[in-house]
Amino acid sequence: MNETILRTEGLKTFYILDVFGAQKVVKAVNDVNLNIRTNEVYGIAGESGCGKTTLLKALAAAIEPPLRLVDGYIFYYIDGKAVDVATLSPEAKRRLRLDYIAYVPQGSMSALNPVIKLKETYQDFISSHVSGKSKEETIQLAERHIAELGLPPKILDSYPHQLSGGMRQRVTIALAALLKPSIIIADEPTTALDVVVQRGVVQLLMDIQKKLKNTIILVTHDMGVQANIADRVGIMYAGKIVEESTTEKIYGDPQHPYTQFLINSLPQFGDKSTRQSVPGSPPSLIDLPSGCAFHPRCPHAMKICMEQTPDLITLDTDHKVACWLVGGEHGKTA
Amino acid sequence: MILGGCLARPGFSQISEVVAVTFFKRYLIPRLISYVLVIWLGITVVFFIPRLTPTDPVMRMIGEMRGRGSTMEPGTMDDIIADLTEMYGLEGSWLDQYWAFWGRLFRGDFGVSFFQFPTRVNQLIFTAMPWTLGLLLTTTVITTIFGNLIGGVAGYYARKGWSRTLDAVAMVVRPLPYYIFAFALLVIFAGLVVRWFPTAGGASLGALPTFTWSYIKDVLWHSTLPALSLSILGGAVTFQTMKLIVQNVNAESFVQYAKLGGVTESRIVGKYVIRNALLPQITGLALGLGQIFSGALITEIVFSYPGMGMLLYNAVIRGDYNLIMGITLFSIVGITTAILVVDLTYPLFDPRVRYY
Repeated sequence: MNETILRTEGLKTFYILDVFGAQKVVKAVNDVNLNIRTNEVYGIAGESGCGKTTLLKALAAAIEPPLRLVDGYIFYYIDGKAVDVATLSPEAKRRLRLDYIAYVPQGSMSALNPVIKLKETYQDFISSHVSGKSKEETIQLAERHIAELGLPPKILDSYPHQLSGGMRQRVTIALAALLKPSIIIADEPTTALDVVVQRGVVQLLMDIQKKLKNTIILVTHDMGVQANIADRVGIMYAGKIVEESTTEKIYGDPQHPYTQFLINSLPQFGDKSTRQSVPGSPPSLIDLPSGCAFHPRCPHAMKICMEQTPDLITLDTDHKVACWLVGGEHGKTA
Repeated sequence: MILGGCLARPGFSQISEVVAVTFFKRYLIPRLISYVLVIWLGITVVFFIPRLTPTDPVMRMIGEMRGRGSTMEPGTMDDIIADLTEMYGLEGSWLDQYWAFWGRLFRGDFGVSFFQFPTRVNQLIFTAMPWTLGLLLTTTVITTIFGNLIGGVAGYYARKGWSRTLDAVAMVVRPLPYYIFAFALLVIFAGLVVRWFPTAGGASLGALPTFTWSYIKDVLWHSTLPALSLSILGGAVTFQTMKLIVQNVNAESFVQYAKLGGVTESRIVGKYVIRNALLPQITGLALGLGQIFSGALITEIVFSYPGMGMLLYNAVIRGDYNLIMGITLFSIVGITTAILVVDLTYPLFDPRVRYY
């Protein structure tokens, strides 16, 4: 079994906003326990506005006001030793970025400085982490790296606006892999790219993972992309992980009604019936429903769903669900 | 260098001839034509507008003569009117005057001033210009450098206490009416409270303009309060704009991404945030420089400072067509040239702007 590389314990990160003197608390990540292992692709799925991006920010140790770490821990396993991220100094965190944990932004984002050439961006990223290299050496390093990933090295001489969206995203992914990080966090890397380009981008991500044998945490609401590349998937709803399992089990035997909805909304070969979407919309993270946050949209809602929040319980190895309908003790008593 | 900026196509080190030709045909030549057209149109408008005002400079002069108590026979008065009209260059129809005006303009001659007759307009302008240029160039440069630098850093560290304090100060200073602020400075530093600075003038009375240390010191001493009044208010505006732009750029994804990539803070502030935030400020600076030629009227009134503003004010009041034309010509050419230079050099600052 692979070792743990990143672990969270009861992680709660809330946005604490001051709106005209009144405090508003957005419970974006609410009691999340993750155990992410080396050499796996861990997918996080869920609708927009359920806390996926915030969870990634927390995992990347980029918690900045108004986002606050309210409770819980994030542990990085650096050389097999657990390090509590909250105890790290800003400079120590900066050094870990790109080197230990790298971030790939959304495909639609302009993540590259528009007024400098790509090689200058690469240079900035490299010399912020590796000291004692001359300008030529860093550029050579960047060229070699780009070529290894099958991208034309001459693109380093261009400005971001001269590349297509897909190429820009590939350059950004290559940049994230530059220092061979143990973890790559990708936030909707294929959003806003057309399907053909999406494939290339996902392929590049996969090639990198195979080569570095590292961990990729992939956030996307695209269940199709998730099914193709993730080893394990966590389904997120209203700031909580509501189901987590291997990809086969999530798609083959989904337990949580929300997961079932997400999977049913996927188009399938030969099935010409209209796709069903999840009824209703995600709840406000400021004012969560009582009990299970999904109960207002759930067709199987019972009395207990409105009163008590179900725990994430283990069904069998590697399959966890938080729902009153299923599983051991509370499934039966309900 | 200017053309080089437009042609330096990134990613391709060689400038192909085709690109250069397209650039000249498609952009540079039409742009230069529009530059000349705008100047011509501006001058034409300035030529006709004073002639449409009810002030008749000849009758005004006659009125002044009468006011001094001189009586004259009707025949003499007609002679004087005819003489003045000829000397002022106001003979014939407007169209005749217009042609004659262009003829003189190409010889670099703006004619004589009416209200300081018979001093030539050229001489009046060249006496006033050094004062205006000295004062306004200095304050514009100070305002730009300090406003953008402090505003930039304060925008990046917007959550820090000192940044909020600076913002509060700027918020109080900026809406102050300039004439009140300038007057307050004058009262505080050159009058009631302390007498550190002179109340009026560009230099001490009777001081001869020479390149000696004592004269330069005298000029600097006289220009301190006017420069201070312009720099503080102008700087507050630049500070606030820059701070706002930086806060917006700071939220851009490429800045967030650089932070998540562990790029050092000094690189992020300089190369990612301020570098991008300066782009709109460059245009503002060029326009500011172009406007220098029309002077700063209120500053000159409050501090009794010699310069173009006062000259223009008097010219308008007295219906001094030739002087108005001389000064506004400098303004028109100044502003249009500033815009032309910005247009042509902008690709050097922002690689996304290309003209072909």
